[in-house]
Formats: sequence, structure tokens, C-alpha cells
Amino acid sequence: MSQANKVAKGQRETEEPFYAGQTWILEMVAANAPLPEILTNLVLLMEAQEEGMLCSILVLGSDGMRVRHGAAPSLPEAYVKAVNGASIGPRNGSCGTAMFLKRPVVVTDVLTDPLWADYRHLAEICGLRACWSTPIFSAQGDVLGSFAMYRQEPRGPNAEETHLTQVATHIAGIAIERQRVQETLRERDARINLAAESADLAFWVIYPEQNTAWMSDKGRVMYGFDSNLPLNRDRICARVHPDERAAVHAAFDRACASHGLFESEHRLVLPYGKTRWVIVRGRCLVDEHGHLLELIGVTIDVSAQKQAELQLQIQREEMSHLNRVALMGEMTASVAHELNQPLTAIANNASAARRFLERGNIDPKLLQQLLQDMVADSQRAGEVIRGIRALVQKDKTVVRTVLNLNSVIADTLRLVSSDIALRESVVVTEMDHSLPQVEAVPVQIQQVLLNLIMNALDAVEARPPAERRIIISTRSLNGESAEVSVRDFGIGLPKDRPDKVFDHFFSTKQTGMGMGLTIVRSIIETHGGKISAENAPDGGARFFFHLPATRGDSKSQAA
Amino acid sequence: MKIEQEQTELTENNHLPKPPKKFSDKELSVASVTSAKADAEVCLVDDDASVLRSMQYLLASDGIAVRAFNKPEEFLAHAANHPVPVVVTDIWMEGVTGLEILARMCAISPRPRVIVITARDDLAARATASAIGPVAFFIKPFNDEEFLAAVRDALEQAKK
Repeated sequence: MSQANKVAKGQRETEEPFYAGQTWILEMVAANAPLPEILTNLVLLMEAQEEGMLCSILVLGSDGMRVRHGAAPSLPEAYVKAVNGASIGPRNGSCGTAMFLKRPVVVTDVLTDPLWADYRHLAEICGLRACWSTPIFSAQGDVLGSFAMYRQEPRGPNAEETHLTQVATHIAGIAIERQRVQETLRERDARINLAAESADLAFWVIYPEQNTAWMSDKGRVMYGFDSNLPLNRDRICARVHPDERAAVHAAFDRACASHGLFESEHRLVLPYGKTRWVIVRGRCLVDEHGHLLELIGVTIDVSAQKQAELQLQIQREEMSHLNRVALMGEMTASVAHELNQPLTAIANNASAARRFLERGNIDPKLLQQLLQDMVADSQRAGEVIRGIRALVQKDKTVVRTVLNLNSVIADTLRLVSSDIALRESVVVTEMDHSLPQVEAVPVQIQQVLLNLIMNALDAVEARPPAERRIIISTRSLNGESAEVSVRDFGIGLPKDRPDKVFDHFFSTKQTGMGMGLTIVRSIIETHGGKISAENAPDGGARFFFHLPATRGDSKSQAA
Repeated sequence: MKIEQEQTELTENNHLPKPPKKFSDKELSVASVTSAKADAEVCLVDDDASVLRSMQYLLASDGIAVRAFNKPEEFLAHAANHPVPVVVTDIWMEGVTGLEILARMCAISPRPRVIVITARDDLAARATASAIGPVAFFIKPFNDEEFLAAVRDALEQAKK
């Protein structure tokens, strides 16, 4: 108790040392000294002001019901122990009653006062006769504890003692309240950290003025920083993937300039080459003059989700590819036909040329004509193969181009014309020539149309040939989008919910995998469009989708 | 469309006894090789223009007179007024169901000898083809010798 000695030694008759003592205790409060130390020194300072006076401070527990020992350096240990943990109440000694009633309680003689009934024997042993207790209030008026003065003779407080009590309760109030606030802050910190760590969040604060930064332990692990490496914005941004670094810097600058929010999704490249996908969200804190103090934020590691998304994307592409291969399988008649025609022409022309040459009377112009035809048919066969390859190939470069859906429909029908003929069906087209252009991946739109056409052909298969009719029509929806409708005259869709056909693995076909329409919907939605199905009023099913019209500029762009 | 017109002109040229004066290279060539034996004409029906022309050349290279039709309806119209000893035809035509056309071909009197050429080798194609009782059935692309032999056989039979 060296500090206590200091107070005691510094005591003089003048008030000056008392003020000095108060200042010193307040400095302890400001320096976050431990509360028991502060309160003990406060009690010693008070006791030093008057001969024969003993003081104590009790602190009310956070439950507001029980008291805890605060400081009582001069009271007997047995007494302190007995009081610690006691309840407050209307008849609980001076202190318990003062805290309960929220007003000073003056007991001039503990041996006779009814409030002391339960503690009388204790007071007797300790030689205490008078006890005046005053509640300690917070700034909000909540009871924090009590400050008590004891005398060994029965009497009430004088004016000087009342003044000392006022000073003591004021300082004790400041000290206890400050400690409570810090406890609350610590608890909140702990909770936030717990939440942050269980949510895989990293906290960081950037101080632009000082060019420094702070980051939680979790954050340092996430960014791959040693725990004692000094940080700043540049160091943090240096972890961002080179492709995205400039954009992240720009987003920081924008947030700083506007004192607004910051949000970015990017990759981090850690030492040793590990990559993480993160989402970073932050905001600016400004002082009351609108001056930027700090940029505070969190970083969320979304690598796992990204991985899953990527996996899903790959699966979707695989499915889509499988669907195209399956479609190609259904189109074998058309494919064979499309290839056999030019091959036949080439073979015939070659045979003819050989025969004319053998006869020896060939006109050079005729020979030239035959050769020219052969070249043209070879090219035609090449086109067919290129078309098949484009359809069966995996989507490597998925590039959207500006398309006229009318021509895509015409091209697609040409592709399956043999199958349509083979199935003795008729496809009628009703094209709207004012159809707006759309931006889409040609092969994907072709895939959509092929799925719908092949389905329609299947749907009408059971009908007599004369009724195997499919109508493909287009129309402009206010010039804002282009609608395509594929209507068959088959048995129609499930009555209760026609849209069910878009669900995974829904199939009415023996050979169907039930994924064609799911893929169709996914393609249309990726293009910002919508697809629906309904039963036409006069029988059969109608599928219709629309894609948004391309906006003014007709530049191609990557999907 | 352009090719179709050419085909039509070509078929008309077949009636000219000698190569006429002012024809394009193409017309001239075919006309010059196909006009030889105008008596026993083989009719060709195929909606694929380049296949049609190549078959015309092939038959011409063997000295067989040919009349080509890009559309089955045109052939049927021709057959209504002219004897058709032999017809070489595809079996699936765009716009009309094959069966209907073939039924009308079967109704031509006297019944021509039919050689079917098709790009499809499947049961449906064979079944449809057999319905009209062809003297020969070829899958495109086919062997030229066998095809020409079949055409010559059919022409021989038609003479009897």
C-alpha cells in the first residue's frame, strides 16, 4: 500500500493535499487502474481526513440484488467477509438499506437501530457504533454501490463529513461506472469476436491519415500476415489479385471520397500462391466535422461457396453438353441425310467425269463444271460437319452475338428438316418480321429450339400424319423483347401444373433423361429471358420464351 | 430458286435435237451430252438440286437420256402426258408427305419402273420404298456401276 502511505503522509490540515489526492485518484481512473486499487485509495484518502473514521465501499452486483466487497482497508476482515454477498433490502444495515432505498441512511447507533438487527453482533465484535451510508449513483441515476462512514461512538455526520461523503460517492461513481463500461465493451468485443470467428469474418480498420491499419487475428490469417507485421492500406491491397487490385483501390478511393460504403468481391493471393475468394464490406467513420477518421470493415472468405458455384457451373455445362449430344443422337436422320447428299453428288460427279474422260469426247467446259460442283459440294459437307461440331462441342468460348431469332429458327429447322420429314410431320412458321434483335449465344439458342422442336415432334408422334403439325411463331413484345412460341398438337402438358415440365428429371418419354427443358430454362434465364409452358385451348402444348431486345449498340460481348 | 430454274431449263433442253446456239456453259454442256438418245428417257426426281444435277451428269456420262425434276409435283404433271419407262426418285420430299407422292407415282399408267435412291438407311425408309415395289433401292452415296447397271436393266425391261 505504498500509494496509501503517500496519501496518508501527504495529509495536512490544509485542503490542498486532499485535492491533490482526489486528482491523483482520478488520474488512476483515467489510466484504467484496477478498480479495487482505486477504491481502496479513495477510502484511505477519506479516512485520512478525520481521526477515528473508518470507511468502506460496497459495489452492487450486476443482478442489482447482492453486494460485493469494494474497498474497506481498515475494517476487520471478519466484518468484510460477512458483508460480501449480502442482499440489499429495506432492513439490511445502513448500506444494504441505502442501496435499496436509493437514498442516504444514517444509523447513529447500530446497537439500537432496527435496520441493524441482523448485523448487530458483528458490529459489536468489531467495535462499530455509528454507520452512515450513501448510495453511489451512475450518471443515469442507477445505483452502483454505497459509500459508508463508521464511528466507534454513536452519533450522526457533521457538515464536513457530509461533504467528504459527497466527494467520495462522486469519485467512486466515476470509477465504478467507467469500469462497468469497459466490462461491457470487453464483453461486446468478445461476443463480436466469437461471432466473427464462427462466421469466418475478419475485421480490419484502415486509418488513412496515419497510413496504418489494424486487422483481427483471423484477418491476419486470412490475408497471410504475420501477427506483428505493421499494416497499412497498401499492404492489405497488395494481397489482392493483380487483375482486381486496381478496381479495389478505386473502390477504396471512392468510399473515402464520398464517406460512403465499400463493397467488393475479389481474390486474394497469399504468399505461397494460395488463392482465396473474399467479399469485403466496409464503411467510413467520420468525426463531427465531417473529417474522415477511419475505414472500418469486414472480410468474408467465400472460397468454399465460390468453389461450389464453380462446380455447379461446370456441372451445368456438362449437362448442357450432354443434352446437345443427346439431341444430336435424336437427329441422326438429319445428320446422315445432310452429309450423304453432298457426298452422293461428289461421287456422282467424279464418276461422270471419269466416264466422260474414258469416252474421250469430254468438253473441257463440262469437266470444269463437274469439278466446280464437286468443290461446292465438299464445302457443303464441311459446313454440315462444322455445324454438328459447334453443337456437340463443349462451350469453350461462349460469345454472345446480336441475333435475329427468325433466322436462327430457319437455320435450326433446316438442320432437322429430314427428321421432320421422316416423322411425317409438318412445321409451319409464322414469323414477325419486325422482331427486335437479341443478344445471345447462337449455339445455346439453337439448343433451346432443338429441344422444343424435338419435344414437339415426340408429342405429335401418336397423331395421324395429317395432324402432326407444329407451329413456330415469333412476335415482338412492344419492341422490348422477342417472343418465340413452339406449339404442337399433341396430348398436352400435365393439367395441374404445366410448368412442372421444367423440373429436373420430369419426363413423359421412355428414353428421356428429363433434363432437356431444365437446361432450356437455365439457358433462357441466363440470357435474361423467361420461358413458360401452357396447354393451348384447342389442344396440344405451347412453349413460349422471350429474350430482351438488344440495346442500341450491336457490339458483341462475352457472356 | 436459281438452281431450280436451271434444272427446268435443262429438262427442256433435252428435247432439242442439236445443241442450240446461245446457251450458257452449263446448259450447253449438259444439253450436248444428254440429247443423244431422246427416245428412252429416264426421269429423275430429287429435291436436292446438286444431287439431281450430279445424277444427270452421271447418267449422261453413260449415254442415258435424262429428264430431271426438282419437284415431285412437276414430275407427276409431266407423267400425266408422257410415257415414263423408268423413274429414279428420292422418297422424302419437303412439303408433302412422301407416302402421298409415292401413291400418286404408283398410280401412273402404264406403271414406270421405279429406282429408289435415298440418303436414309432406316427401316421406315425401306418400308416406304418397298411399298411402291421398286426394281432397285440405293442408299446415297451409291456405287456408280451398280446404279448405272440397274438403270440400264430397267430401261431394257421397259422396252420389252
